[in-house]
Amino acid sequence: MASSSSDPEKLMAKADKLTKLSFTRWNADWKTATSLYEQAAIAYRFRKDNEKAKDAFEKASKGQEMISSPWDAAKHMESAGALAKELGLWNEVSDFYRRASEFYRECGRSQPASDALAKGASALEDKAPEEAIKLYDEACALLEDDGKEQMAFDLYRSAASLYVKLEKYSDAAGFFLRLGSAADKCNAINSQCKGYLSAIIIYLYAHDFQQAQKCYNDCSEVQAFLNSDQNRCAMKLLSAYEEGDAEEVKRAAQSNVINHLDHVVIRLAKKLPTGDLQAIKKDLAADDDRDSLDENDLT
Amino acid sequence: MSMIDVLIRVDAICQKYDRYDTDKHRNDAADPFSRLYADMDAAIDEAIEKSERAASEKNRAAAVTLNAGVRRAKARLMEDLVKLQKLAVKKVKGLSRDEMALRPDLVAALHHRIQSIPDGGSGGAEDQNAGGNARPGIKFDSSAETLDEGYFQTSEESEQFRREYEMRRIKQDEGLDFISEGLDTLKNLAEDMSEELDRQVPLMDEIDRKVDKASSELRKTNVRLKETVNEFRSTRNFTVDIILICIILGIGAYLYNVLNQ
Repeated sequence: MASSSSDPEKLMAKADKLTKLSFTRWNADWKTATSLYEQAAIAYRFRKDNEKAKDAFEKASKGQEMISSPWDAAKHMESAGALAKELGLWNEVSDFYRRASEFYRECGRSQPASDALAKGASALEDKAPEEAIKLYDEACALLEDDGKEQMAFDLYRSAASLYVKLEKYSDAAGFFLRLGSAADKCNAINSQCKGYLSAIIIYLYAHDFQQAQKCYNDCSEVQAFLNSDQNRCAMKLLSAYEEGDAEEVKRAAQSNVINHLDHVVIRLAKKLPTGDLQAIKKDLAADDDRDSLDENDLT
Repeated sequence: MSMIDVLIRVDAICQKYDRYDTDKHRNDAADPFSRLYADMDAAIDEAIEKSERAASEKNRAAAVTLNAGVRRAKARLMEDLVKLQKLAVKKVKGLSRDEMALRPDLVAALHHRIQSIPDGGSGGAEDQNAGGNARPGIKFDSSAETLDEGYFQTSEESEQFRREYEMRRIKQDEGLDFISEGLDTLKNLAEDMSEELDRQVPLMDEIDRKVDKASSELRKTNVRLKETVNEFRSTRNFTVDIILICIILGIGAYLYNVLNQ
């Protein structure tokens, strides 16, 4: 036994023999095969042979699936995914983690399912950000469907910061607004207000004042936001933008309230104002003129 | 020590312990005028001492307080003076005619003494108004002569005072800003902590439920095991015990080998 437990190749060969159907074997013995695969995988991992370990974990997971224990199958998939990340096989990473999450969902446990997707997403953040975003999105949707939004806050924040890195600012702001609505459902007022303020700041950074203004108006309808510090800070920022006063904008952005937000958003706020404030002023003035003409024009 | 020193010291000591002098007081007890006169005398001396202290006081705020105290004392003394005047004209038993004639003079002298106590205010103007009202210190109408050029002039001292005040105010504002920043951070931390705790409440409930289930199952298993062991033990007494002991020793030996490898 000692020799076979330290020789993973032999274990793998034995397990493969057990599972391959042939003339002499009509039913595959998945139970023993699975335990052999597991042993082999652990031995390979110990030897730092990532490629073989990954394969062994994959086969072990398949075995667990066959003997109908999706929990163990999911766990093995996750290990396989982590090893795939070490090897740099990015599409396999996302594949493995997705399958792991499906197994967890089969067990009826949404939290580990979303955790698996989140792990996959963070593994892919640098190399395949698009895929990572998709994984984050799925993870958040999972938790939202199950009514466990409170666990999703961190995911929203990671997804939004990834969007900011990709410079997709409106998507990032969208995620923060999703955070806001999730926080609303679980009565987490502080996170909600911080989410709204972050969204407004991102819109301002993207130099989209109209959107920021619209966002602010939408958020003001929420009573909890209206009474918060973040609301006052947002008001100051927006009025500074309306005046076109860069100094005032900088001062409003140095406010203490902003230091409590996500560090990605703090970095953006420090860089405000971006672009030409006068252009915003002109746009605003043009809008106002149009309105006033309509008012005065009685014909 | 010279004679004069001795005399001065004796005077001071007598003054200090005057109230224990029952003879003097017995005499005074008879005559309300002399009593009041003695009281006013003492009050005037106290006021003069206070005003001298105020004059030598470096701290402006303390000087102002002392001067205000002196002015209050003067006002009270002026009231008492009116009473004294009334008492002065009353006929008292056992007092000679000369003394009676002397009393109004005494009152006038006292009046002058009171007025001359320096209180840091405009002494000259007070003398003018002293004759009219009982409380010369309080003036509501500032006459034209007081609103002359020098009145609104900021002196060196008041400028310094104002500057010091501004500096202190600025420092206080800085301190308060710092405190408010710290409080903001604390508030944010506290709110995050509260949200985190809210998040963990259902998890704790879940853990509680699972642990309850596990512990009840464990108890059931234990009971069954106990029953089995009892049953087993009761039928065969010693053999089973010996067998179990050998098994435990075997396990112990195996572990020992494994650990020593």
